Amino acid sequence: MAAPLEHLRILDLTSGVAGPRCTQLLAMYGADVIKVERPGVGDESRGHGPFPGGVPHRERSALFLLLNTGKRGATLDVTTPTGRDLALRIAGRCDAVVLDQRPSELARLRLTHDDFAAVNPRIVTTSVTAFGQSGPHADWRATNLTAFASGGQHYLTGDADREPLQNGGYQALHQAGTWAFGATLAAIWDARRTGAGQQAEVAAQEVMASILEIYLPDFAYRKAETLLTRRGNMATAAVGIYPVLDGHIGIHAMPKNWPQLMDALDMHWMDDDERFRDNRARLRNDDELMAQFYIWTAGVTKTEAYALAGKHRAPISPVNTMADLLASPHLNARGFFQEVDHPHAGTMRYPGPPARMPASPPQLRRAPLLGEHNREVYVDLLGFVRRDLALLSVAGVI
Amino acid sequence: MVWAGPSGTRLLADMGAEVIKVESARSWDMLRSLHFLSGPPEGWYDKAAYFNHNNRNKYGITLDLQTGRGRELALRLAAISDVVVENYRADVIAKLRLDYDDLRAVKPDIILVSMPSHGKSGPESHHVAYGTNVEQLAGLASISGYPGMGPHKSSIAYGDPNAGAIAAAATLAALLHRERTSEGQHVEVAQWEALVGNIGEFVLAWQMHVGDGSSPDIDGWSEAQRIGNRHGTRVQGVYPCATPTDQGDAGMRDDWVAISVGSDAEFAALCGVIGSPELIRDARFADVVSRHHHHDKLDAIVGEWTMSRSQDDAASELQAAGVPASPVLRIPRLMEDEHLRARGFWETVAHAAAGEWDMEGPVWRMSRTPAHVRLPAPRFGEHTECILRDLLGLSDEEIAALEAEGVTAREPRAEVHA
Repeated sequence: MAAPLEHLRILDLTSGVAGPRCTQLLAMYGADVIKVERPGVGDESRGHGPFPGGVPHRERSALFLLLNTGKRGATLDVTTPTGRDLALRIAGRCDAVVLDQRPSELARLRLTHDDFAAVNPRIVTTSVTAFGQSGPHADWRATNLTAFASGGQHYLTGDADREPLQNGGYQALHQAGTWAFGATLAAIWDARRTGAGQQAEVAAQEVMASILEIYLPDFAYRKAETLLTRRGNMATAAVGIYPVLDGHIGIHAMPKNWPQLMDALDMHWMDDDERFRDNRARLRNDDELMAQFYIWTAGVTKTEAYALAGKHRAPISPVNTMADLLASPHLNARGFFQEVDHPHAGTMRYPGPPARMPASPPQLRRAPLLGEHNREVYVDLLGFVRRDLALLSVAGVI
Repeated sequence: MVWAGPSGTRLLADMGAEVIKVESARSWDMLRSLHFLSGPPEGWYDKAAYFNHNNRNKYGITLDLQTGRGRELALRLAAISDVVVENYRADVIAKLRLDYDDLRAVKPDIILVSMPSHGKSGPESHHVAYGTNVEQLAGLASISGYPGMGPHKSSIAYGDPNAGAIAAAATLAALLHRERTSEGQHVEVAQWEALVGNIGEFVLAWQMHVGDGSSPDIDGWSEAQRIGNRHGTRVQGVYPCATPTDQGDAGMRDDWVAISVGSDAEFAALCGVIGSPELIRDARFADVVSRHHHHDKLDAIVGEWTMSRSQDDAASELQAAGVPASPVLRIPRLMEDEHLRARGFWETVAHAAAGEWDMEGPVWRMSRTPAHVRLPAPRFGEHTECILRDLLGLSDEEIAALEAEGVTAREPRAEVHA
């Protein structure tokens, strides 16, 4: 069966994490993504690592290798007039262009939605940035940390008596990129029906502000600030991370999961204890409940706790390390990780697609080398002859 | 139900899809119980903001899927739908006999999106998990944390909205596929798998580490990944700011600004803004390597400067000079943020039971077809009658009989989530 997006072609003018995450997801489901990188330098994530042996090499950065699977790679300096013209010509053959530049940068490059629409009225341009394309902060500079700070999750994460804590990795940028993936498809869906493209805009700040769980809705409605504190690893005793003999586990029990949790922990004596008899009592005696859980967790391993969780269908999970993940019997039985070979980085096991679509058995393809597909893009797609490539290269355009 | 599925269908509802949410008296959305209203007041189940934010722009029907009649009506709704989304435990839709084959029998090109935490197959598919469990399973918690400290949880049930956004996008991919091929499909979003990509570079980095022949000290390596607010190449952190006197107790200093500096040019700009241009030539900070070696000292200097101004002023001054910075926004400030206000992000919604308040608008911003909150979240069973009558053509007598038989309901049973 065909991959669901194999009829789509996407021009990717992004770098770093958010934009490449969006186009990585499009590529995972079959879209032909043409990733454009600066000649000689490439995507900024090529410089980030981590690298094997800690030695920087632009074809061996874990961050780049991860985020650019499945794409074709071409070099192009869009800041040159010729480079801009070539970008527009590629866009003329595409369904969507993904951009991560601030509005002032797009205006300077003359690569706004209107510029693309002039050559392709059906084009969707997706802009994924920290603050969006309008408003007083639209041209603010951002990194993952500052974007995370702007969206409300940061303040709430961490310990009450310490500074706010960001999540590991590049979560603000991943959230923006993941949401931009869907926004791009929604706009393409509309363009296919109406024949008219448009700009789809995703701002990391807005994405994060829209997923503040109970905290934002409750404040917006009740105007009470009681929930708006950092709670470390314990939202309550029943929703937290506990140390075990060989690491950590997490418990997340809502009232309806209580009987199963008591089964798993063998704590049904709590049913008759007035401190823990019902949800209201448990919340009143949260510290005592936590103490009981600490006593239990101190005597089990991750594997033992997780086995009891499965047996009794209680919401308890191991805090998996990368070694745990790669060894997971469950993920391995499901064939989640996929071996991908790369001429410079070797063979590694990469996380598979986030959703399984049986109409497209998805096989990951390695990230492109810098400029690897220049011939395919400029000769096969745009119709240059081969010797033109040398001219463009000497001119610094590709 | 709860957050993962509803957050995904909300993205589709925001875009104009007609989303019908199915609940019943004994299987209703737990978010309705998280209202924090004292009493509780009459009709509490229609007043929980957590529910009302995540289910705006949708319609609501009650149908007890465990009854023959309820199941039959659900199938009739599926027959006139493009997509069915469910995030029950892995075994539930099979038990309800509402699995892909059941749906396909009434609608050959149906798209079914299933979102169980662990997926539909594999030795752990019977496990249950909420969004915090998902981030633990997926490895995010193990690489999050303050330096030298243990793993740390997110402030939100992080796995849920991620799975929702993936499910919404996969739904659109399946629709595009159906448009070309006339084929439906069963999409499976295992919430655990859906999140691993967010930390995938650590999955690769661990393999590089082991592949180096380095000692595979798992705990030591994991701890080394937990760098708090810092970064491998940039010099950055969150710094304490002055709390405006009208914001309460000055002793409760909890306003922060995030600052992130990479290039020499950004560092020079930072030095200029904080009035210490001599630092540009200070041997401790002159280049990116030195700055990392003296990160603590630099933090102390920057913190001295931020401490005497508000988080907004600090961020604005730094941004004016080209330095990435942002206030670490508390939710009340987020809702007052001049930028989001100027963008019209907050929309006032009027709800027949819960009243009027502001909520976040659609985050997929479309230039030609802008979306808005056009419908408040459904009260419990609000659209049962009109859906049964107008979409399925049932008579008033049939509709009354369904309520008498307990297939539909006007109130949820409180004890289910107490």
